[in-house]
Amino acid sequence: MRVPGENPSPTHTSLRSAAHRLRLDRQASHWLQKIDPLLTLGEVRARVVGILPETSEVTSFVLRPNGHWRGHRAGQHTLLEVEIDGVRHQRPFTIASPPHGDTLVLTVKRIDGGKVTNHLHDGLRVGDVVGLSEARGDFVLPDQRPERPLFVTAGSGITPALAMLGELANAGELKGATLVHHARSRTDIIARDRLVRWADAGLELHLFTDDQPGPRGFDADRFAATVPDFDQRETWLCGPPPVMQSARALWALRDALPRLHTERFVAAPAPSAGRSVQVTLRRSGRTLTLDGRGSLLEQLERAGERPAYGCRMGICHTCRCPKVAGTTRDRETGAISTEPRPIRLCVSDARSDIELDL
Amino acid sequence: MTTPTHLSPSEIEAFGRELDAIRDRHLADLGERDREHIDRIISLAMTSEAAGRLLLHFGIDPISFVLGTGALTLSKILENMEIGHNVMHGQYDWTRDPKLDSHSYEWDAVSPSAGWRHSHNFEHHTFTNVLGKDRDIGYELLRVSADQPWNPGYLAQPLRALWLALAFQWGVALHDLKLEELRTGESTREEVLERAKPFLCKAAWQVAKDYALYPALSGLNAPRVLLGNLLANIGRNVWAFAVIFCGHFPEGAEIFHEAELEGERRAEWYLRQLLGSANIEGGHWLHVLTGHLSHQIEHHLFPAVPAWRYPEMAREVRALCERYDLPYNTGSLGTQLKSVAGKIFRHALPTKPRAALTRQAPPALAA
Ligand SMILES: Cc1cc2nc3c(=O)[nH]c(=O)nc-3n(C[C@H](O)[C@H](O)[C@H](O)COP(=O)(O)OP(=O)(O)OC[C@H]3O[C@@H](n4cnc5c(N)ncnc54)[C@H](O)[C@@H]3O)c2cc1C
Ligand code: FES
Repeated sequence: MRVPGENPSPTHTSLRSAAHRLRLDRQASHWLQKIDPLLTLGEVRARVVGILPETSEVTSFVLRPNGHWRGHRAGQHTLLEVEIDGVRHQRPFTIASPPHGDTLVLTVKRIDGGKVTNHLHDGLRVGDVVGLSEARGDFVLPDQRPERPLFVTAGSGITPALAMLGELANAGELKGATLVHHARSRTDIIARDRLVRWADAGLELHLFTDDQPGPRGFDADRFAATVPDFDQRETWLCGPPPVMQSARALWALRDALPRLHTERFVAAPAPSAGRSVQVTLRRSGRTLTLDGRGSLLEQLERAGERPAYGCRMGICHTCRCPKVAGTTRDRETGAISTEPRPIRLCVSDARSDIELDL
Repeated sequence: MTTPTHLSPSEIEAFGRELDAIRDRHLADLGERDREHIDRIISLAMTSEAAGRLLLHFGIDPISFVLGTGALTLSKILENMEIGHNVMHGQYDWTRDPKLDSHSYEWDAVSPSAGWRHSHNFEHHTFTNVLGKDRDIGYELLRVSADQPWNPGYLAQPLRALWLALAFQWGVALHDLKLEELRTGESTREEVLERAKPFLCKAAWQVAKDYALYPALSGLNAPRVLLGNLLANIGRNVWAFAVIFCGHFPEGAEIFHEAELEGERRAEWYLRQLLGSANIEGGHWLHVLTGHLSHQIEHHLFPAVPAWRYPEMAREVRALCERYDLPYNTGSLGTQLKSVAGKIFRHALPTKPRAALTRQAPPALAA
C-alpha cells in the first residue's frame, strides 16, 4: 500500500498523459469496466461486502476498495459517490473503522428527505460498487498519541470516535481514554456491544440517553461532573450543531479551546430564495454581498466583478465556474445543487452563502 | 427578421414561452433513460473501434479491410457526432460523470475541444446564421448566400467544397484559428502562432495515433492499417461535412444581418434559430449517425437537451410551428444535399444580395 499523500512518479504521469492523448485510456477503462466495475485506471471504487443494521435509523456498510485506495487515518472521512437515476452524487461520510485490513466501514444515518442516505438504506445491496474519494480531513489522532484522550460525541457523530477508539483498542491502548456519548435512547446507540467490550478493556465509558431521567442532550453541569479534568485533556468533539455549540461554550468558558478538536457533519444549507447572500471568491480572496436579483453573473457584475461570459443564456458554457461550497439553483431546471461542482453563472442563483473559484 | 411579419410581438413572446415549456418538460425528466442511451452509444463506438482495428491489424484479405475500415469509420462518426459534439454542448453535464463532462471531453478530431467549444457553442449557437458574426456560414470558405460579397475566388468554390468535405476535420480546426485575421490585420503572426499551439499539439498526437502508432503496432500490415485509418478519417469527414451543411444552408434556411440582432429578445432568438436551421428526415439510425443533427432545428432551439430526445421534441415543435404558421424546413438527406449543392454552384457566380436589410423592428420589440 502506498503512503497517503504520496504522488505518482513523473514517468507514470507522462505515460498516463500520452495514453490519454492517444485515446488509449478511454478504451482501456471502457473494457476494464466491462470485465469488472472495480477495475479502473485511477478512480477509487469499492464493493459492498456487508450491510449491518446498527439502529432503526443507522446502517453500517462494509466496503472493500480496489487497489487505488491509499488508506486512511482514524477519524478521516471520504466522499462516497453513488449514481441515482443517472446522476452521480457525492456525500461525505466518516470511515468508522480503524485503518487495518482490506475493508472499511461507513456508518450512515438516514436523513429525513435526504437523497443519498435514503438511497443507501433502501437501494444498496451486497455486491454493488460505489465510488470513493481519497481519505481526507484532519480530525485525527496525532502520531504522538495523547496520554488521556477524551471523546465527546452525540448521535451519528460517534463515527470518527469509533475509528479512533478502534485503533487504540487494536494497539491495546484503551486505558486512559474516555468516551462520553449522547443518544436519543438506548436502542439508538450505535455499536453498543463494541463500546461495552472496549469498556471491559479499559475504556472509561459514559452513555447518556434522552429516555433516562435527567437532562437531554449535552448538559454542561452533568458533563463537568462526569469528567472534571476535561479542560486538561486533548478532546475530540463531534455531534449535531446544538451539542457542538453547548460544548464549545463550555470549553471557551474554561479557556480550553486549543485542546478541543471538532468535526462538523454539516448538512447542506437549507435553500432560501431571493435574499441577499455572501459570496466568497476563492482566487481573488474577495467577499461580496449580492442582492439576490437576477442571475449570479448579473449580480457579480453589479458588485464590480468581471467574470467571463458569452451568450448569457446558458448555451455556451463560457461562464462556467467551479462552485466550491454552498447551495445554488439552476434557473433553467429549478434543480438545487448542494455539492461542490461547476455551475453556469448566467443561469444560476445563490440559495445560501457560497464560495466560487473565481 | 424578415419572414414572420404575420406574428405580433405578443404572439412571438407566446411562441417563445411554449418552446420554453417544451424544454422545461424534457429537462425535468432527465435521468436513467438518457444515461442508458449515451452508454449504449459509447459501447457501440468502443466495440466498433476495437473490431475495426482488429480486422485491419490481423486481416490480410480485402473483405476484412473493407469491414475493418467501415467499423472504424462508424466508431469515428459516433464518437464525433452523437458522443463528442453532444457531450461538449453540456448535454450530459447533469450526470456529473467526469467522462461525460463538457469541459474535459476531448474528441477524436484534430481540433482541440476548448477552441471548438468557443467557436461552436458561443459564436455559432448564439449568432446562428448572422453574417459577420457566425463564422460557420460557409466556413468562411464558401459563399452560400447572395448576401456574402462575391469575389472571383468563389468561381472555384465547387472544388473548394470538395476539398473541405474530404478534409473537414482540418477545415474545422483551421477555421477555429481565424487565419483570415492575418489578412485583415486583426491579429499579428505571433498571435496566430500562439493560438495555433494547442491545435498543433493536438493534431500531432492525432496524426501520431492514426498514422504512426497503430500502423507500427501492426508490423507488416502497416500500410494496410495506415490506409484504413486514412479512409476512416476521410469517411467521417465527408459525412460530417454533409450533415453540417444540410443543417444551415439548404434553400429556405435564412441568413441574417447584424442589424437584425439589435435588442433581440429570447423569443426572437428562438425564431432566428428556427428560420436559420433545417432538418433531415430519416430513420432512427440516420439520426444517431448524424448525432441527431438531423434535427438541427431542435438542436438550435435546445442545445443543452440530450440530443436523442430531439425526435420526440420535433413532433411538439412542428405542431407549434403549424399553429403559428411558421416554416419548418425539413427534407430527406438527398433533397437537402441537392439543395446545398445547388447553392454552392449558384453562388459561385455573382448573385444579387437580398433587398435592403433595414427591416424595422416592431416598435414593442425595439429595445
Ligand atoms: C466531514 C463529514 C463527515 C460525516 N460523517 C458522517 C457519518 O459518518 N455518518 C453519517 O450518517 N453522516 C455523516 N455526515 C453527514 C452526511 O454527510 C449527511 O447526512 C449527508 O450528506 C446527507 O445526504 P443526503 O443526500 O441524504 O441528504 P441531502 O439530500 O443532501 O439533504 C440534506 C438536508 O438538506 C435538506 N434538503 C436538501 N435539499 C433540499 C431542498 N431542495 N429543499 C429543502 N431542504 C432540502 C434535506 O431535507 C436534509 O435535511 C458527515 C458529514 C461531514 C461533513
Ligand atoms: S454565458 Fe453562455 S452559458 Fe453562461
